[in-house]
Amino acid sequence: MAHQAHSYHMVDPSPWPIFGAAAALLTTSGLIMWFHYSSSMLLALGLLSMLLVMLQWWRDVIRESTFQGHHTPTVQKGLRYGMILFITSEAFFFLGFFWAFFHSSLVPTPELGGQWPPMGVKPLNPMEVPLLNTAILLASGVTVTWAHHSITEGNRKQAIHALTLTVLLGLYFTALQAMEYHEAPFSIADSVYGSTFFVATGFHGLHVIIGSSFLTVCLLRLIKFHFTSDHHFGFEAAAWYWHFVDVIWLFLYMTIYWWGS
Amino acid sequence: LRQISQRTISTASRRQLENRVPEKQKLFQEDNGLPVYLKGGAMDGLLYRVTMGLTVFGTGYVLYELMVASMPKKQK
Repeated sequence: MAHQAHSYHMVDPSPWPIFGAAAALLTTSGLIMWFHYSSSMLLALGLLSMLLVMLQWWRDVIRESTFQGHHTPTVQKGLRYGMILFITSEAFFFLGFFWAFFHSSLVPTPELGGQWPPMGVKPLNPMEVPLLNTAILLASGVTVTWAHHSITEGNRKQAIHALTLTVLLGLYFTALQAMEYHEAPFSIADSVYGSTFFVATGFHGLHVIIGSSFLTVCLLRLIKFHFTSDHHFGFEAAAWYWHFVDVIWLFLYMTIYWWGS
Repeated sequence: LRQISQRTISTASRRQLENRVPEKQKLFQEDNGLPVYLKGGAMDGLLYRVTMGLTVFGTGYVLYELMVASMPKKQK
């Protein structure tokens, strides 16, 4: 049987990249059908196939690493670079929405009454639920770091407790934000204030849900003994993503919620 | 209180709290020529076929809808 003379991972042929591309096609076409022709079947098909591809692709990565041992230090280094680059690209994504917010709020037009918040818009009080949400995410940053230390020290029970707490805090944030969205006295249609507020906080909320899901998968893997005290990159990637989500919230809170009120 | 929290777990549920990674390692390192996306068992094949079915059907449907949207709509 031939053995490789290098430390890289030559993956088995896989159908997930092309199925993933097809799922993206279905999702984008589905959005068009939903927007312009009031039909949601294609969109549902797209989202379902996207979910199936993600589940199976990442399931395979777990098989290749934890069960087949292909993630050498060299491979892990590449994965670290990859995750850092991905998070950087997400930072630029949010930068665009912050740009839009400052563009409209620093020079408010006559249509808005020449002021920010615009005439007639009653902003949310930054010292109420938004402040609680800030405390929740900061606390979750502490608990995820506690979980990491517990993993490296081989303390299984504490690691499970700390990561569970982190996930619960994330869910609490999402529930509170959903309630705020429901109770807000303004909507996305309320001038550029509504647009910037809901698009920026909305994409952030989506990232909180993604981060919470990633952490939940890590919790399940932690319970199933997948991580060792010196090899647990999946958890580290989730923790980096979660800290990123926390930092974005801090910027949102300081600019849109506090300065912008 | 410590005695209550350290109650004995029955054998059936104890297996769920044990480390099953070595079993998985044996299964996925078996020299059977199967690619990793099918190596886990029958469920793998089923999920693969369902995913393929949805994406192939969906792609065909997108092309159909694109054709329909490109044709002029006949007014009466």
